[in-house]
Amino acid sequence: MKRFAAFTDFFLKRYSRQGLWSLFLTVAFVPHTWTLVLAFRDLSWVTERSNAWDAVGLTAYGLIFAFLESLVIFAVAALLGLFVSSKWEENRRIAALSFLALNAFLWAALGQLAFLLDFSLPEELARILIQSGHPVRFLYAGSLALVLSTVLAPTWLILRSDRMLRFVRAFTGRLSLMSSFYLLFDLAALVIVVVRNVT
Amino acid sequence: MDSNLDRREFLKLAGLLSLGYAIHSKGIAPAAVPQARRENILVVVYDALSAHNVSLHGYRRDTTPNLARLAERAIVYHNHYAGGNFTTPGTASLLTGALPWTHRAFVHDGKVSDSFVSRSIFHVFPDHYRIAYSHNPLVNTLLGQFKEDLDEYIPQERLFLASDGILRALFKNDEDIATVSWARTIKRQEEGYSYSLLLSHLYERFRERRIAGLKPDYPRGIPHISTDNYFLLEQATDWISSRLRELPQPFLGYFHFLPPHFPYKTHRDFYGKFQGDGWQPPDKPVDFAFNQGKSQERLLEWRTWYDEFILYADREFGRLFDHLAASGLLEDTWVVFTSDHGEMFERGISGHLTHALYQPVIRIPLMIFEPGRDERVDVHTPTSAIDVLPTLLQLVGEAIPDWVEGEVLPPFGRRSPDPERKLYAQVARDNDPTAPLTHASLMVLEGSYKLTRYFGYGRLGEARERIELYDLEADPEELNELSTIEKNKTEELLIELDDKLAEVNAPYL
Repeated sequence: MKRFAAFTDFFLKRYSRQGLWSLFLTVAFVPHTWTLVLAFRDLSWVTERSNAWDAVGLTAYGLIFAFLESLVIFAVAALLGLFVSSKWEENRRIAALSFLALNAFLWAALGQLAFLLDFSLPEELARILIQSGHPVRFLYAGSLALVLSTVLAPTWLILRSDRMLRFVRAFTGRLSLMSSFYLLFDLAALVIVVVRNVT
Repeated sequence: MDSNLDRREFLKLAGLLSLGYAIHSKGIAPAAVPQARRENILVVVYDALSAHNVSLHGYRRDTTPNLARLAERAIVYHNHYAGGNFTTPGTASLLTGALPWTHRAFVHDGKVSDSFVSRSIFHVFPDHYRIAYSHNPLVNTLLGQFKEDLDEYIPQERLFLASDGILRALFKNDEDIATVSWARTIKRQEEGYSYSLLLSHLYERFRERRIAGLKPDYPRGIPHISTDNYFLLEQATDWISSRLRELPQPFLGYFHFLPPHFPYKTHRDFYGKFQGDGWQPPDKPVDFAFNQGKSQERLLEWRTWYDEFILYADREFGRLFDHLAASGLLEDTWVVFTSDHGEMFERGISGHLTHALYQPVIRIPLMIFEPGRDERVDVHTPTSAIDVLPTLLQLVGEAIPDWVEGEVLPPFGRRSPDPERKLYAQVARDNDPTAPLTHASLMVLEGSYKLTRYFGYGRLGEARERIELYDLEADPEELNELSTIEKNKTEELLIELDDKLAEVNAPYL
């Protein structure tokens, strides 16, 4: 119990409530948007096979899961943030963590979009990879380089440059506003799920 | 039971008892009902098992060595037909003794109409201990409807290695949509994408680790349904063999296993058994309306995988049967081995998700094992899944209700099989069950002639109709379409089918 209290103290010294709330809202943006886009995509086939109320139910469950996923990723990001040196002020740390979470979500979304849009490597590139004798190794190395370049450079800039910090804060501020609406949707989704399971 | 009866209740009870005594002493009982026998009944269904791929029924590949061994003490029906070409209508017909256009369970995951909820095999054996299990969720939809008449309904998760059972428990009142939503949210492999962007990856790793140790035994993957509800048929066989020994008798057991249904994930003992054996099925023309664009190579490959999966199901039925024999249960148990529908790998179509009603998707195996029988009987008369229920009722001496549309199977019927009897099968996946049939495939079989009428499908062109007639005796592979040659027979069967259609549509007009 004492250890838990000590950890809470340590945690709250590193983060303000406002900072945590801002981080959560930024983290919640992409999973909610992605869920809504795919749920709308599914609306027609569910309605066709069942009815509109079931289609609404499907979206409601999806939104609640998006909320839970946001919570999990928020917790992971906040915990990872404890390893960031406190020599940087909270605003910078929150901005960097928000950016990292967004980045992870966006790469995951791109991966799924590639499948949805039936994307495949250009033939020329595929041929070069095959000729290399280690196509998978090179593919992984290339992907890693690409992902790391989108992580390291912006994170370094956020931590070092005031201009970049202002830009990221303004950007995440807008996302947070949108996420506030999503949280209202989550509340409605919760009511829908309860109604569906009670009646 | 409450033993504190008040005076009024006591008098009512006394009156009923005396009435009961009077009826008994005057012999007022249905004369036609034979003396009930207290024998067990076990119905074992292997999903999507086409008679066309069963060596016992003449298939060139030796897919069913165990069935062949056991057939020496069974009644083997060689021309047995499902009520429809997929699980819902096929199983509902088997369980109710009625055709899909009557029980109305003919759309995907459909349910029988309200009047049929109390007209199932479980309802008509009230003195038996009734137990049911299925791997297949579509069957569970039906079993859920018949739950009131079941003494023990085993949830499908019971025999899954890893499942979403907790979800069903949490959202009991909204199980269907909660499960669909869960699949769409977390199971990326199902469609290639999921609502969850990051946790879906962790979930996949978690599920993979749980079954990793079994992978070497299943080179094509572990048998599963709905992406990652993994199961082992041998585990189901063992569990059921041991559970049957514990049941109160007489019992009625209905066990519906998924293999050899897609995905065809056979055990390593059968992996590659038919690959490269050089055998080629007869060439058949591509169905211009219903073909799924599957290449011949793909169809041949999947047929091979399917045949190898049948070997797995065959071995497990053999093991189940041997367990029953060893436990002594066979001495007073009628065992029925059958399927709910078939599977096809020809004419550009694979599986059974089709509007077509060719023989491979509707002709299924049926074997009945009679207690004490040690001789084989082969029945070539066409029979239907709807005949199983009345036959079982007669075998154990129960009366057959008037809503049953099937007939008692030969050789158990009191009269010889009627050569004029017409058998029917139906597909109407896109037709509202509460509306008349306007988009459907209907088959009528009389003697060796099979007429199929496809109607209401846009892909049939402007006429929206196609008629096919085959003489199955002369042409069991349905290669020579005869509707323009044997016009009289076509006309006769069409009139028959139209009359039937008008009759079944009447309540929904």
